[in-house]
Amino acid sequence: MDSSRRQFLGSIGQVTIGAAASIAGANSADAASGSATDATNATGPHWGMVIDLRKCIGCQACTVACIMENDVPEDALRTNVSVYEVVKEGRDPAMVMLPRLCNHCDEPPCIPVCPVGATYKKEGTGEVLVDASVCVGCAYCVQACPYDARFINHETQTADKCTFCVHRTEAGLLPACVETCVGGARIFGDLNDPESTVSRLLAENDVSVLRPEMHTAPNVYYIQLDEALDGRVAGEAAYRPMVTDAPESHGESV
Amino acid sequence: MSTRRNVLKGAVATGALGAFAVGYSETVKKVLRGKWSGEQPRKNVTGNAPDPEYRVTADGQIELNPEQAVSYAMCIGCTSMCGVRVRVDKANNKVLRVSGNPYSPLSTNEFLPYETPVRESLAVLGQSGKGDGMLHRSTACGRGNAVLEQLDNPRRVLKPLKRVGPRGSGQWETISFEQLVEEVVEGGDLFGEGKVAGLREIRDLETPIKADAPEFGPRANGVVMLSSVNDGRDNMNLRWLKKAYGSTNYARHGSYCGGSYRSGSGAMFGNVKKMPHAKPDFEEAEFIIFIGTAPGNAGNPFKRIGALVAEARSSGKLDYVVIDPVLNNAQNGPSGDRSRWLPIIPGTDGALAMGMMRWMFENDRLNKTYLAQPSKAAATAAGEASWTNATHLVIVDENHPRMGKLLRGSDVGMKLAEGAKPYDDSDPYMVASDKGPVPVGDGPAPLFFNALVNGKDGPIAVKTGLTLLREEAERLSYEEYAAACGIPVETITGLAKEFTSHGRKAAVNTHGGMMSGSGFYNAFALMMLNTLIGNLNWKGGTIMLGGWYPDTNGPAYDLAKVVGGVKPKGLPLGRNVPYEKTSEFKAKQAAGKPFPAEGPWYPNAPGLATEWFSSMINGYPYNIEALILRNANPIYGIAGIEHLVPKLKDPSVVPLIISIDPFINESTALADYIVPDTVMYESWGFAKPWNGVPTKITTARWPVVEPKVAKTKDGVPIDVDMFLIATAKRMGLPGFGDAAIPDKDGIMHPLNRPEDFYLRGAVNVATVGGSAVPDASDDDLKVSGVERIRDLLQGTLKPDEWRKAATIFAKGGRYENKDLSYKGEKSAHPYGKPMQVYNEGVGSARSALTGRRSPGVPTWREAEFADGSKVADIYPLSEWPVKVISFKSPLHNSYSVGAKSLLRITASNTVNMARELAEQHGIQNGDQVVLTSPGGSVQGVAVVRDGVAKNTVAIEHGFGHRAFGASDITIDGVTLAGDPRLATGMLQNDLGLVDPTRSKPGVWVDPISGAAVRQALPAKIEKIA
Amino acid sequence: MQIHELVGTVHEAAWLPWAVQYFFLIGISATAVFLTFPAFVLGRRAQLPIARLALLTAVTTGIAGPVALLADLHQPARFWEFFVYTNATSWMAWGAWIVMSYVILLLLYAWAVHRPAFYRWGKDNWRFAWLFRLLSLRGEANGFARSFGIGAGVAALGILLYTGMEVAVVHSRPLWNTPLLPLQFAATGAVGALGVMLVLGRFFDTGPTIEAWMNRLLAAGLAVVAALGALWFLVAFSGLSASHTEALASVAGFPVWQNIALWAAAAIVIPFLIAILAPARSGWVTGLIAIHAAWMFRWTVFMGGQAVPKVGSGLYDALMPTGLEGMMGVIGTFGLWIFLLIVYTTFVPWDEADLPGDPASIPTSAPSSRTVQG
Ligand SMILES: Nc1nc2c(c(=O)[nH]1)N[C@H]1C(S)=C(S)[C@@H](COP(=O)(O)OP(=O)(O)OC[C@H]3O[C@@H](n4cnc5c(=O)[nH]c(N)nc54)[C@H](O)[C@@H]3O)O[C@H]1N2
Ligand SMILES: Nc1nc2c(c(=O)[nH]1)N[C@H]1C(S)=C(S)[C@@H](COP(=O)(O)OP(=O)(O)OC[C@H]3O[C@@H](n4cnc5c(=O)[nH]c(N)nc54)[C@H](O)[C@@H]3O)O[C@H]1N2
Ligand code: SF4
Ligand code: SF4
Ligand code: SF4
Ligand code: SF4
Ligand code: SF4
Ligand SMILES: [Mo]
Repeated sequence: MDSSRRQFLGSIGQVTIGAAASIAGANSADAASGSATDATNATGPHWGMVIDLRKCIGCQACTVACIMENDVPEDALRTNVSVYEVVKEGRDPAMVMLPRLCNHCDEPPCIPVCPVGATYKKEGTGEVLVDASVCVGCAYCVQACPYDARFINHETQTADKCTFCVHRTEAGLLPACVETCVGGARIFGDLNDPESTVSRLLAENDVSVLRPEMHTAPNVYYIQLDEALDGRVAGEAAYRPMVTDAPESHGESV
Repeated sequence: MSTRRNVLKGAVATGALGAFAVGYSETVKKVLRGKWSGEQPRKNVTGNAPDPEYRVTADGQIELNPEQAVSYAMCIGCTSMCGVRVRVDKANNKVLRVSGNPYSPLSTNEFLPYETPVRESLAVLGQSGKGDGMLHRSTACGRGNAVLEQLDNPRRVLKPLKRVGPRGSGQWETISFEQLVEEVVEGGDLFGEGKVAGLREIRDLETPIKADAPEFGPRANGVVMLSSVNDGRDNMNLRWLKKAYGSTNYARHGSYCGGSYRSGSGAMFGNVKKMPHAKPDFEEAEFIIFIGTAPGNAGNPFKRIGALVAEARSSGKLDYVVIDPVLNNAQNGPSGDRSRWLPIIPGTDGALAMGMMRWMFENDRLNKTYLAQPSKAAATAAGEASWTNATHLVIVDENHPRMGKLLRGSDVGMKLAEGAKPYDDSDPYMVASDKGPVPVGDGPAPLFFNALVNGKDGPIAVKTGLTLLREEAERLSYEEYAAACGIPVETITGLAKEFTSHGRKAAVNTHGGMMSGSGFYNAFALMMLNTLIGNLNWKGGTIMLGGWYPDTNGPAYDLAKVVGGVKPKGLPLGRNVPYEKTSEFKAKQAAGKPFPAEGPWYPNAPGLATEWFSSMINGYPYNIEALILRNANPIYGIAGIEHLVPKLKDPSVVPLIISIDPFINESTALADYIVPDTVMYESWGFAKPWNGVPTKITTARWPVVEPKVAKTKDGVPIDVDMFLIATAKRMGLPGFGDAAIPDKDGIMHPLNRPEDFYLRGAVNVATVGGSAVPDASDDDLKVSGVERIRDLLQGTLKPDEWRKAATIFAKGGRYENKDLSYKGEKSAHPYGKPMQVYNEGVGSARSALTGRRSPGVPTWREAEFADGSKVADIYPLSEWPVKVISFKSPLHNSYSVGAKSLLRITASNTVNMARELAEQHGIQNGDQVVLTSPGGSVQGVAVVRDGVAKNTVAIEHGFGHRAFGASDITIDGVTLAGDPRLATGMLQNDLGLVDPTRSKPGVWVDPISGAAVRQALPAKIEKIA
Repeated sequence: MQIHELVGTVHEAAWLPWAVQYFFLIGISATAVFLTFPAFVLGRRAQLPIARLALLTAVTTGIAGPVALLADLHQPARFWEFFVYTNATSWMAWGAWIVMSYVILLLLYAWAVHRPAFYRWGKDNWRFAWLFRLLSLRGEANGFARSFGIGAGVAALGILLYTGMEVAVVHSRPLWNTPLLPLQFAATGAVGALGVMLVLGRFFDTGPTIEAWMNRLLAAGLAVVAALGALWFLVAFSGLSASHTEALASVAGFPVWQNIALWAAAAIVIPFLIAILAPARSGWVTGLIAIHAAWMFRWTVFMGGQAVPKVGSGLYDALMPTGLEGMMGVIGTFGLWIFLLIVYTTFVPWDEADLPGDPASIPTSAPSSRTVQG
């Protein structure tokens, strides 16, 4: 390590981060091959995200970055940012931009329903993942997820969802949506490390989760999330144009 | 059992089995495909995600992925032109993803010190970086993430095209580059429609373009070029058109972008041609009024402003109000009261501003110390960061020959210095004193003064600028202002109070919302609020762009110079000069009736592309022969222009239209020739941001992928630069060819290919400004992918230069460090000229149509047409009760429909309308409605919102395309069908008006700025049964 | 508070019309099985005609249903994984075993019931006699049919349980997550089964007495469906069951759902009245309406349920039929079923089925009703 680099790392928790990177490195081969029984390491990082709604500008950089990074097929999204106009009693109309993605729940309803165990929670780091080579495409997990975070990928014909960009975190990088978040609303890190940015944000702010009544123990937390928006949102739906004759279709007749 | 029955049974069984077979064919196919009924992804868990571009190992070291390159380049997903990091799949020459360049302030809040090695710039973005890798997080916005798809747009123009069939018919043939160059230069019977003059013939620098009017210059002025924005290649365009070819007619899109704002700001900054403007210091301000601009929704630089505002309203100290007819992403509910939305009647911002000013005058809430300093010396002595002409005396005497001008020493008979002429720079401006008018000195002067003073030819009525401003502000009552803008009196005064409660840490900012018929004065008034609190050049106030490292004339090469070049002459096509300079005026004056002119003139405006179209179709002030469009789409972008299109389709009006563009957009569709161009990550260029960065910055663009365009015979990719070089060489124009670029020793270097120009430009960027960047190390080259052009660098540049130039590309430009933003409490790069509380250019000019003068201070003025009639008189509210505005899409821009990922998120636009208005017309959410203005009509789906001002309809810009893939294109007989997804929605400009008071047709423009009017269009709305 | 979504997404249905078909057919099959019991298990001769129709119905739907299920898998060729990997917490994992057991037991049961007739056909002198000799395993004893029948019945209960629970446990969809749903599936399944039998009875001219019998049974079934429906609304309105209340709330505001409720009520009341008032002449009408009611219930639950966003606003358009492409799955499944019906009624001596293990019932000179000629 040259001196400028050492200086650069300076005050931050080198030990923790060094450890995180090495554990991540060790696990990468397993994840890539899709083993459902990745090596465990309870002391490793436990990934989580904090979404500060005060900072979201609804630019959809996250949405598109995720598409680009993960080659998300045409008719689906792994993450999206809904935009709402909210009028509260006695208040001016206001905008709320609400990013959503898989919560990588600690009590994920999508896992117990999987008939073949293709969907699993990565031990240690906690990502909820799908092994596409095992998935039978029954879509039971898609039904079971309370957040509409899953979908059937029409290219692979298997269940698909946000991976917390496990291939990037294992390489010591950040998820694509976090890297490119213009407003700085998406903050990612190790919930096990009390010094991490996410842990500190959790400690310093009132946070909430989506659909708490589902008791899914999400690992995605929100700052300044209004209850009216934390579940199904009662209100007018966005206009969705019917554009017929789209030249591209996914050769599937059902 | 009968046989008949069996036959029937058999038939039914066969039918049933057939239905089964059809219904299950997909299942059967899937089963037959075996283990993977779909496509097997690259990886079982992470799907098709490519391997990461690099890894950060346990000990914080970078391990590159040899299959990919990560290079710092420039995004042109909008005019922000951010520095980005482009991840390339080397084997497939494909851009995989784009995010931000951590050196660039346009993409990074905490941008890295420039000296950081490239390798480390990647390391900080990993989890091991500060803030778990998020401190220096560097971004691309939604569009910026998607527009890489434009490179692979299936409708990209890759080879030169020539129209076959009538102009605008969508029929093309491909031609070679060499044929293209020959035909446009030599002319001839190019389309079987008769002879067309080529560029060579038109380049006549002697014959006047208009026989009886030498003031318009030579015939060469008949080649005009519209290049919408300086994407970093303007210098080449300018070199070609102005210095080599000799035409004066070059314009950008300003007059249909935010021209009125820029002019209003320019009037205050004292330069209506260059139109300087400042931005709030988002990071340090305590209170900002965004009015007619939407930070985070659009704005330039979009991302930087969005990011800074998001930070400031949550972790920082900023409270702000967004005053806008429509609620958009600029406001943020979760931030509570720190971010508020206030609706306003479109086009009436001047009323609000003047109302606020009235309160400020009445309640003594001006920064009087600041305003009282009449000169730089006085300001410096008083510790101010700038000064104004608030105290300067203005001649207000209708009978005085210099009515409307600032009083000068020579007006009161002061003796001028040796050799000085009256009214030149040394003829002093005058301020009031007990002893009568005195020259501005180095101390404060009286703010208010209204009296007769002794002039050299008798008494002259004079007032200070500030007195005039106070009079304008007090012209109307609060109630009248409130009625005009629809904002209650208490809110107006409350805003004024809040605005004046933060010292200089408050600011007003505006832009696109000023494109109304009152735009110039609205903007002038809003900007004046900043001056009244004296916030310019102060931390937390308004600050200027920190400047840049120019590529054109650095210490190494003079790229701006054309040896043996031309100095273009003549009045411009856009009539942005005083009418009084024309032969028409002189003739009419001699005849006793100088006014009205045949058309409007705009002495206080910059180049006006909008007005060009009126000029072109009317031949007023003169006819042109060739229009070159580059990187521009005026036919989509100018409100009301559709009415002029039929004329443009007639080749006798403009005989030659050349479009240099990668896509067939609405304007390109009218061209005779299309020259392909390289797109973003394929091209060279150096850009400076529009504004909003307090430090010096030059963003560099270089081909990080191999261009997709066809090549010339000599193997050079065909793009704008190569086209200009080739035509110039064929015509033998100066400044191109083997000896074209002088270096510091006067030695000439060639300009035969784009690199000859841009690599030398990089050397300038690297060495300008009294310091040079460090040499790029081999590691920098490797990590940044600049290795790809190493041979080019080494082969073109001198041995001691190339590694410096390489640094510019390796780091994606040159950036001054963030800690150099301020000097103490003041901006480190202050604006050094006085603010014009009174703008004498504006205040003394006469309208060419009415002969009337307009105020030289801000005022509230209802929307007008060119002859001064009120729009509301010609199109009364009773018949046209709705006001239509346009707002930028937070996601799209005017040509982003080509990036199909964006359409997955927002696939169309809607008619956003106020709830009250909808109720009045029995319109419900989701209804089809038709919106009609005197200029046209559009049809769309109503979205009924509380977040829209009453009687207002707001339409998002970026949809309603007719070209760009929305309609069929036939090339060499093969038709590419239009894609209906690219045609969805409406174009608000279809509601744009032709000014009914102009004898020669032209679209409605602001009378002072000459900028297109797209806001507050009068209209009516109906539900479609 | 008023909320207006300006940018949102659509989440498409992941369970496609195939699933509707499966739940429709398997529900019919698993309830029809029980209508075979009076005759084939309990030995009541009077019920023989009804039992024959029931068995025909149970077997054909019992085969067609799982085929549709296979098609609803996006990776149909991986169905074997169900039997290799298991996940005890997944009702679907159990379901795979249950469906497999059910189909096997059902086929064994049907085989056993038909064995004597197979034997007879095997003894005739005709072209396919060898096949029937093979099918009969050269014997005609079928006393074990009862045991297979009971086994199939147990498996059918398993089907009713798992299909109901698989859907009812999905917390994320209020419309599904209701304790009454399994019962509603079973009751509407029976209604569908009787509907099919009524139509088949008409088709094969089983006569007015039997038709009247079946219509009365149908009326009873519809009464149960209506009672369950009423109970559903009761517990939902009263707030007695939070999950039902939430289910109702999730759709109550939408006109399309109000229409569905009316439609459903009509689909129960109309056939009920007809079945009561004209039991012996209305088999076509009541039968078809009953089939439609059973199908509609499932379409509404599955496609309608998936049209309710979990986090977004409004409704997705999954409720609407998904165009010809989407409907091909529905039509294809019906094609398969009709084909199976024809094959079954042509190649299987279904109407010769008799009380099992009762040698007395075996006619000495078999009245061969073969319709296939040699
Ligand atoms: N996302 C995105 N960002 C962009 C661009 C893009 O296309 N998309 N383009 C870039 C370009 S070229 C530019 S010039 C900038 C423009 O950036 P902005 O000027 O910030 O954006 P606009 O949408 O043109 O106008 C700003 C606001 O003015 C409001 N408005 C309209 N009429 C009136 C009025 O009469 N009074 C008031 N007070 N408000 C009014 C509109 O509702 C809109 O919200 O953005 C740049 N950034
Ligand atoms: N109603 C309404 N009208 C508006 C606006 C609005 O908000 N509402 N916004 C206005 C504003 S702010 C502006 S700035 C103008 C913008 O209008 P213009 O400045 O005319 O530009 P664009 O429409 O952005 O189109 C530029 C064209 O450049 C082409 N292009 C893209 N990349 C390249 C390249 O690399 N090289 C070359 N040669 N060409 C390229 C594309 O074909 C694109 O169509 O529109 C204005 N018009
Ligand atoms: S959000 Fe949905 S998909 Fe993600 S872990 Fe939770 S239940 Fe599973
Ligand atoms: S779709 Fe795949 S991952 Fe989901 S439950 Fe079925 S098998 Fe498991
Ligand atoms: S973490 Fe990765 S996969 Fe998940 S939403 Fe973000 S970019 Fe997409
Ligand atoms: S990138 Fe960040 S700011 Fe932009 S929409 Fe996504 S979460 Fe919001
Ligand atoms: S703001 Fe977005 S689209 Fe515009 S240049 Fe920057 S990254 Fe590209
Ligand atoms: Mo613009």
